[in-house]
Amino acid sequence: MLTKFYKHSLYYVFLVVILSLGFLLTQNNSNKTFQIGVVVVTTFFYVLWGIMHHLINHDLSIKIVIEYILIGSFGLAIIFFLLATSGNY
Amino acid sequence: MKDFLSHLFTPRESNNHRAKILHHTNLFLTIIFLLLSSLLIQRIKVNFPSVLGIKADISAEELLSLTNKERQSAGVGSLVLNEKLSQAALKKADDMFEYNYWAHSSPTGKTPWIFITASGYKYVYAGENLARGFSNAEDAVKAWMASPDHRNNMLSSNYQDVGFAVKIGKLNDEETVLIVEELGSLNMPISQSKVAQVATAVAPVENTNVGTVQRQPLVNSQSLSSNIYVIIISVLIFALLLDMIIIEKKKVMRFVGHNIDHILYLLLVLVLIGIWGKGVII
Repeated sequence: MLTKFYKHSLYYVFLVVILSLGFLLTQNNSNKTFQIGVVVVTTFFYVLWGIMHHLINHDLSIKIVIEYILIGSFGLAIIFFLLATSGNY
Repeated sequence: MKDFLSHLFTPRESNNHRAKILHHTNLFLTIIFLLLSSLLIQRIKVNFPSVLGIKADISAEELLSLTNKERQSAGVGSLVLNEKLSQAALKKADDMFEYNYWAHSSPTGKTPWIFITASGYKYVYAGENLARGFSNAEDAVKAWMASPDHRNNMLSSNYQDVGFAVKIGKLNDEETVLIVEELGSLNMPISQSKVAQVATAVAPVENTNVGTVQRQPLVNSQSLSSNIYVIIISVLIFALLLDMIIIEKKKVMRFVGHNIDHILYLLLVLVLIGIWGKGVII
């Protein structure tokens, strides 16, 4: 497992950078619309980067694309519902 | 039962070597469950507010005490609760509920300084901090201290007075708690001559009683939502980890997304729930 991880380490480092950047941007601006926008854009790049990685590895399939979109939609749904039900938006 | 859980969380032949909970259909059903549970929480909140609603126990005294504690730690003089600033904060909170906005300036262009001046407080320096959705004073002050702009406002030696308002009302048809903190100074501290206006967000109270909000429903709707989301995400992360470890051990060849990607993304969502689930500031 570790060998496989090292093989893809550069890809994971880039993903961590994308997600960290998204997190830092949400914390540096208190405008809620901007924060939601950052979460949407970060999710988009997470899906895109996942697809790109599989494309590079020549193992991309429609099933994998749907999986990334579903996980991304799940994350976005949670953030939206959290803000909607807490009355914080 | 054991077999069912194993089918749900571990990759094996019965689930085509992918934990059943991670199958597309189940992920889709989880999203639908989230939608339905959110709608249900909304309905119960509206129809039975004493059972499920926002919990709040915040007082101006507590906010003042916590603010002054932070100022003392930073070596800055304590603030004094000012009735006029508290009045300005209350008017600001009322205005936000009446015109349905959450910002330092109203849609009609009213700035915080208009409320402060209208209260009769002739400021040399003025600032505003706002918080929303917090159930206790400690979390609100912590959130302000974590934000550089709000922190600067709270710890500024330019301010000598403060006014708080804590009020429950509806914004965008959602019941919420607003905390308004108006900071000000009537004299020029040190030898500074220019008038400074700094907005970040808070609300004042006319007297200490107005600055107190206590609401104890049977279940706090905010923590209920957050807890549901944290549990669902944790279960998914656990399933992804287990799925990844078992497949690596078994050396099964399959074409699915990278679990590490999903885990990293879900961790980000988990952190955001931890921060935004408590309340927001501007």
